[in-house]
Amino acid sequence: MSQEHHQQVIGDIGSYNNNFSNNTGSHNNFNSFNNIVNFITRLDNEGRQILQWLSPLEPQQRHQGVRTDRLDGVGNWVLETSEFRKWRDGEDGCVEQVLLCYGGPGVGKTYVR
Amino acid sequence: MAVVGLYCDFHAQQEQTTTNMLGAMLKQLASRGISENIREAYEKAQNEFGGRGLQLPEMLNALKKTIASLPRLFICIDALDECTPKHRRELIKSLREIARVLPGARIFITGRPHIDDEITTCFSKALRIPLSPTHGDITSYLERRLDNDTEPKAMDAALRADIMRIIPEKISEM
Repeated sequence: MSQEHHQQVIGDIGSYNNNFSNNTGSHNNFNSFNNIVNFITRLDNEGRQILQWLSPLEPQQRHQGVRTDRLDGVGNWVLETSEFRKWRDGEDGCVEQVLLCYGGPGVGKTYVR
Repeated sequence: MAVVGLYCDFHAQQEQTTTNMLGAMLKQLASRGISENIREAYEKAQNEFGGRGLQLPEMLNALKKTIASLPRLFICIDALDECTPKHRRELIKSLREIARVLPGARIFITGRPHIDDEITTCFSKALRIPLSPTHGDITSYLERRLDNDTEPKAMDAALRADIMRIIPEKISEM
């Protein structure tokens, strides 16, 4: 499920940008947590040390766990809201650059996709 | 375009400083290759400062330099309420700076309701969605949990039906 699922996860956010990439032919710019994991294994020693020096945090590890536990379809309604669409599709320079999804503990904020 | 993400966590507050969080974004962007200015900063730190990490303003500058040429950058931050108030404030200020220099930046934040004020103070036009699970979200989740039950023999159709009826009812009353 991994690669395919992940593509689906970022697919919605990415749809605007995929179109953009197709038009400009800059498809290779697309990056994701998966690419990072692959990339790190290819890095030379110094490269790895530099990344560790930049930050000890490894958010991509937590991301792997969340992806595995996430249930298909749950929370998809968020992607249909006008707020989400406005945020995703806004022109450059528009003022709505931030989208906040808020809720109490345990409502599933982490698992929205 | 690029996507970077952070997961904040009560249990990791000590190492989740603003500098480390911005550093984690930079680290993810390094999948495009580690830029020369970062290599230089690293070597300088090794040679002159005994390998100490970047300070917050330096880290923010390095990040701004790295993202400057991106058409689109999505920054996703989970549970912003779980970092300390000090680092949260600094991080939100840094995000405002990033949004200012990169009009194509889109920032997605989740958190408990009390951070709403802090966000809207810095981003007065922030879009907001209140989250709570829909009936469909809850039943899908329950079905999966029941299908993966480790004691399936303890379950019969009547109990299953009760669970599927009562739990969504109780949740919608919350």
